Amino acid sequence: MPSDAVLIVGGGPGGLEAAANVLDLGGRVVLVEKHEKLGGTPIHENYAALTPYFDSAEEGMQRMIDRVVGHPNADVRTQVTVASQEGSAGDFRVALSDGSVVEAGAVIVATGFQHFDPGRETQMYGYYEHADVIALQDLESMLKDHNVVRPSNGEKPKRLCFIQCVGSRDRRIGNEYCSKVCCGVASKEAIEVRQQNPDCKVFIFYIDMRMYGYWENQIYWPAQEQYKVQYVKGIITEILPKDGSLLVRGEDTTMGRPMEVPMDIVVLSVGMEPSKGTREMAGMFEIPQNKYGFIETAAPPLDTVTTAKEGVFVCGAAVGPADLEDTISSAGAAASKAVALVRRTAAAGAPA
Amino acid sequence: MALTTHPALKITKGRYDDVPYEEKERLFGQVKADPRYDDYLYGCYECGICVAACPSARFYDFSPRRIAQATAREDVEQVYEQMNDDIWECSQCFSCLRCPRGNNPGGIITIMREVAVNNGMATAKEALEGYTRIIYKIMGTGTQVSPDMLQPDAFPDWGPGVKEVSDQLELWRKMLPPETLHTTNTGWAIEPKTIMELYVIWHATGALDMIKEVDANLHMILEEMMEDRLEDADYDTSPVSKLNEH
Amino acid sequence: MSIPVEQILSKKAKFERDPDAHVPEDFYEQVFRLEEEGEWIVQRVPDDFIEVPTKYGRPKKVPRQPTWHHKSCGQCGHIPGYSTSIFWVIRKLGLAYEDPKDQTSCTAWNYYASATSNAAAQAAVAMRNFAAAYETGYYPIIHCGTSYGHYKEVREELLGHSDLRKQVREVLGRLGKPMVMPEEIVHYSEWFHAMRHEIAAKQVIDMKNIAVTVHPACHYHKLVEGDAIYDPDMYQGQRTSIVSGIAERLGAEVRNYSTWFDCCGFGFRHILVQRDFTRSFATLRKIQVMKDEADPDVVLTHDTGCVTTLDKSQFAAKAHGVTASLPVMSEAQFAALAMGAHPYKVCQLHWHSADYKPLLEKMGIDWEKAWAEFQEDMKKIERGEQEFLTWEDVDA
Repeated sequence: MPSDAVLIVGGGPGGLEAAANVLDLGGRVVLVEKHEKLGGTPIHENYAALTPYFDSAEEGMQRMIDRVVGHPNADVRTQVTVASQEGSAGDFRVALSDGSVVEAGAVIVATGFQHFDPGRETQMYGYYEHADVIALQDLESMLKDHNVVRPSNGEKPKRLCFIQCVGSRDRRIGNEYCSKVCCGVASKEAIEVRQQNPDCKVFIFYIDMRMYGYWENQIYWPAQEQYKVQYVKGIITEILPKDGSLLVRGEDTTMGRPMEVPMDIVVLSVGMEPSKGTREMAGMFEIPQNKYGFIETAAPPLDTVTTAKEGVFVCGAAVGPADLEDTISSAGAAASKAVALVRRTAAAGAPA
Repeated sequence: MALTTHPALKITKGRYDDVPYEEKERLFGQVKADPRYDDYLYGCYECGICVAACPSARFYDFSPRRIAQATAREDVEQVYEQMNDDIWECSQCFSCLRCPRGNNPGGIITIMREVAVNNGMATAKEALEGYTRIIYKIMGTGTQVSPDMLQPDAFPDWGPGVKEVSDQLELWRKMLPPETLHTTNTGWAIEPKTIMELYVIWHATGALDMIKEVDANLHMILEEMMEDRLEDADYDTSPVSKLNEH
Repeated sequence: MSIPVEQILSKKAKFERDPDAHVPEDFYEQVFRLEEEGEWIVQRVPDDFIEVPTKYGRPKKVPRQPTWHHKSCGQCGHIPGYSTSIFWVIRKLGLAYEDPKDQTSCTAWNYYASATSNAAAQAAVAMRNFAAAYETGYYPIIHCGTSYGHYKEVREELLGHSDLRKQVREVLGRLGKPMVMPEEIVHYSEWFHAMRHEIAAKQVIDMKNIAVTVHPACHYHKLVEGDAIYDPDMYQGQRTSIVSGIAERLGAEVRNYSTWFDCCGFGFRHILVQRDFTRSFATLRKIQVMKDEADPDVVLTHDTGCVTTLDKSQFAAKAHGVTASLPVMSEAQFAALAMGAHPYKVCQLHWHSADYKPLLEKMGIDWEKAWAEFQEDMKKIERGEQEFLTWEDVDA
């Protein structure tokens, strides 16, 4: 029996935007989220401010949640996952972990990404060995708390650095792609650290600075010019403890000499990988993944949301590294295509 | 086209300006044609992690990154300079395999060294001066290091222990329980047949020929010694089919 | 402690490998595929083996016995206590092994130092040695770290280049030797790591007051980096656990220092013809740092070149005011001492340069008495009462 509902898997910015668009178009939404709270990674990982406008992550996500939750045509279920599915475009029957079965005409997978685990391939950064080696999202949670300190002893740091491209752009690890947002996010966090801890020197060790479009002057130039964040082209090879600090070893390539400097906190700019949910939903709905495990769209670059399985769409970071604006845009595209499909099949009176 | 071949772009006088460009090109061509080259060089995004890990970079003006960059750019002039001035500083430790692109600057250097040796480059010969007895030892006797190499005049900076060892060598070697270690002029007791098999390998793979360029006298000595030993045996020592170049 | 910091620390407490994580292509299946295609014979690890974890999670089989020992020329030539200790421990554990005469040097030192060799010669030498092991039916294990790393490199080249295989097959054909690739290329220190519990069971010297620093050999873990032991219980799987694992198991305290990943400075050619580099690097970047930051009783490593460099470089550095002096030995010699081996008849410490006597004293070993015993046995040989020191003389 054809259904006019759109099932959205994932309640992060992608899923919420897709849901809001479906509702705006007069459609019906069933939104399923495995965590207790909506808002996706920005909420679960306690992001402070969003890149590049520095608006509060929590407030931003709340505004998105408010457009969906409470809407008469939105059925939002948290702490629920997809257990099994059958059917085809226009007529999916999806069993959920709460025991119910949902009928949907189209599905949008918005299960997003997870941060690269820097202990996984021993990059010699000692994430699991040294208390003061942390990741981007760890710093976010301290920034949100307005209390950036060394986890080892609770003291305010005097020297903090970021290491870019951790888990990205690497043939040996297999993530042969750029995670797009980490240069902007690290620079944003660098600015925030300088704002909250004016006594702390901040360094960024990079291979290239990826500052697309307006980010150049929204983040990069202010970081250097106003906040005196020091950018050094040269990636770090290893981190070891020395004299109570962390010794960070790299090459200062523009000066052409090896460099070994102490840091109080090292922040690893970890890249994006497909989340567990993305991998699971790819298998669940039988949609192809690329070699990195992200969900493949069937006809890039002119269609960024349609998968090889008719009726199943994908948006946001489940497709690959994406920033917030990418996610919002693709979520809208997925919503409009999903609604169009649902209406087409309803009009035809039978599954497409 | 390399960055510096246009005469108008040459600002300073280079050390190897008198060497014709075609010669430099020929040598770089040999490096590129080596079957291992594509395994060792992908692209380089100049991250510097290889230099950060490199022990030689700390003590010499040496940079595995510049080796990878020069070869990736196919900068014939720079590569020629490096083949003369830089490649022998490398410690061949392969710390540079940290490279996230999968490059192997140490490996590229290995190829460059072989090309330098094969072409009898003066800087290669210079770098290998004093190394002759080691080559003789390994190619001639089948073990690379022998107890009788521990002479005070060979290793004066290792301390007074070396003299003690060399004075007591015969006796101390008898004080070793493993039956194969009662030797002084080889690392361990090695079968004569095994040594002959090694000789066949040196001949068949062209490794012996490489010595000719580095030290003609040594080559002569080795060749005679090997001919002598191989005389009564029935081995085919002709070169095996060449590896395909690409 | 603030809540974010608490959460951060608990998140970083234990590393769990993600089963979905991409794993780089491993040589293992390819080796067997080539056997199916008739290109070579794969010598299987004997049934008596122990599994150890490697960097990306693939379990590696380490043969317990019977083993064919690919000796190290640098060890046998200059630090014979190293090879002797390896054999002594095996004998003490009652395991079968072969100490072959049909074995050449791996020739990698020459290759890395002088480049007076080529890929075909190196591969032929490696394969000739593997064939020699195969012919005895015993499984090869490699003594030197560079031999091991180089043979891993050779395996990679052979897997990737059919031309090279063809050349090597031709050469081996002339020698009447089969084309054999072992299922795993095993380093002796992997054997010691796998066997550490059995070795500890025979321990008679208490090591709990001994502090050690570990130097991992570059060629062990940097060449073909996936094929090296990484144990999640040691360093959280973030660093290779070789040598550290057995030192800890024997009760010693393993201490950290800030140049852990640094090369020793051996340099292959540098140690012979550019010695200022080697001794500067070894003493300034390794020994002095170890002394200042960790103050260990002994430096343990697992490779010929590393033992040689770290031990022998210390003397000359004194002339430049680098006064740090630390005894250096292999974990094989350390384990042998722990099992009660004679410091001179087995560990042959008189061939070492840096002062090891304070270490022996701390271990409760009377080195004066031991040296007197050694001299006694030497006199027997001088008098012609026996030709050589034997295994019986060292209770193995």
